Amino acid sequence: MEIVVCVKPVPDAETRLRASADGTTLDIEAVKFVLAGYDESAVEQALLLKEATPGSKVHVVSAGPPPRTEEVLRASLALGCDTATWAEMPAGIAPDPVAAARALARAIATVPHDLVLCGKNAGDDEAGVVAGSLAELLTVPDFSDVADLRWEAATSHLKFQRSTEAGTESWEAPLPCVIALQQAWNDPRTAKLPMILKSRKLPIAKVAPEAAAAPAGTSRPTKFELPPPRTGAKLIEFKTPEEAAQKLVQALKEEAKVFP
Amino acid sequence: MTGPTLVVGEVHEGGISDATKEAVGVAQSLTGKENVVGFLAGGTARAASAGFGRLGVGRVHVAEDPRMDGATGAVLAHLVAAAAESLSAELVIVGGTTLGRDLVARLGIRWNAAVATGVTGLGRVDGALEVRRPVFGGRATETRRLEGAHAAVAIRPHAFPAASDSPAEVAVTPVSLEGIPGPLWAPKRLRVEVAVRGAGPSLADATIVVSGGRGVRAAENFHLIEELAASLGAGVGASRAVTDAGWRPANFQVGQTGRTVSPQLYVAVGISGAIQHLVGMVSSRVIVAINSDASAPIFRVADYGIVGDLFQILPALTHEVRRARGM
Repeated sequence: MEIVVCVKPVPDAETRLRASADGTTLDIEAVKFVLAGYDESAVEQALLLKEATPGSKVHVVSAGPPPRTEEVLRASLALGCDTATWAEMPAGIAPDPVAAARALARAIATVPHDLVLCGKNAGDDEAGVVAGSLAELLTVPDFSDVADLRWEAATSHLKFQRSTEAGTESWEAPLPCVIALQQAWNDPRTAKLPMILKSRKLPIAKVAPEAAAAPAGTSRPTKFELPPPRTGAKLIEFKTPEEAAQKLVQALKEEAKVFP
Repeated sequence: MTGPTLVVGEVHEGGISDATKEAVGVAQSLTGKENVVGFLAGGTARAASAGFGRLGVGRVHVAEDPRMDGATGAVLAHLVAAAAESLSAELVIVGGTTLGRDLVARLGIRWNAAVATGVTGLGRVDGALEVRRPVFGGRATETRRLEGAHAAVAIRPHAFPAASDSPAEVAVTPVSLEGIPGPLWAPKRLRVEVAVRGAGPSLADATIVVSGGRGVRAAENFHLIEELAASLGAGVGASRAVTDAGWRPANFQVGQTGRTVSPQLYVAVGISGAIQHLVGMVSSRVIVAINSDASAPIFRVADYGIVGDLFQILPALTHEVRRARGM
């Protein structure tokens, strides 16, 4: 099976958020970029499928600006992906997710692909749009919020579960398709040092940005706002648990006005 | 933009879902009642379209076919893009559900729409559509301008009030399923198990959430969390420590690798407040922390804190809540 996994560099979860000088987006000065948490799980899932299905390969693709895109591609190679392809996009933290899907589709077109895996969303813009847009571009079905993904060689079908508003849905689907994984239920492996060293020298194929913009709708960020900082909890003073309970209920009722 | 706004609904219990009612509300306040057209697909879509009529939506496109129950975003996007095209619609609004998000992602390509998901604010600025949406797990909010001839927007659950009742006659336009490529029907939904969760609301729907963490110490103590939640009519959540330990299933997890919630009231019990957890709940309106460790980071984001032993505090609190609510 030829498995493609899409990854995105996102600011580390510990990043202190600050608006850029023009106020339109995140200030990325001094931000450390890492492989998105859900994407880490997607890479793990791709490697598990590869290990369970002899003759498979994992191709990692990413769309974004240097140097962070190259870094997450190398990190994925260090984890065991076989090839890496980079669709270059202009700098900027918050590109349009559909534009990102178009760039990824161009990269995916250059590698064999039976199954395309994505994380549920990226921890920064949280759009969750790329998988669906990608599937429409590749004219294949897509499934979001997927867990428990298995390949059934006997029937040549994927079997998986989805958590939706309806409950837990059990599905089967033939290849090719795009799958957006639900959450980090697996325990992603960490890269071993020899692989990290080796990955620095592995080739990364580059796909040039699209020459002319597609005649399509797009979006651009115009403002980035942070909530006023929380000042810390008002601690409830009490001598007995009953007193604590009474004071809290009273505060929720009369002060915060959120008591049901 | 002057064309009609198409609201793609979902059938729920013979009518339309709450998420759909919220989408109708947004559409009506943005483009006016008479400019909103409904779309509904499923085995009982025609009968359920009365749910649109009750909210004053007088025109509904209906794809009544049992194959549409459990159809994917790919199939739905085919029909919706065609309907939007035939109406010369400029905006499609959907509820913030799994299917809604899948659909707008497809419309970004199929209908060349500018796309936004998780939207908590929608308006026009100098003629262009602008959306507001939380990013970074609710730690920041971005405003985005949607550019182009078409836009497709998925709103965030509970961010907008549902449309109010204002009955109208419904004129139904049937939608044909012909022309959908065969391969799109190949995936099969084999069965649906209604989510296992106590009597309370789901995490996504809850306006109050009570979550337990490592401080609960063992699976058999988690009932203390559930009892407080039941007294408040709250949804039940958990930190990653709890789901990793298998005390509760993964779908309870609130946080970076779980679910992001933003209820009116979030009660964190025995949760230290690792960034992993905070990004999933910090945009809650009011946060209460109960923890025995006064230096736990959760107290820095909480509005009210009780430093104490949860095994003593929780029974007293559940009792007091029940008393205050006359239960």
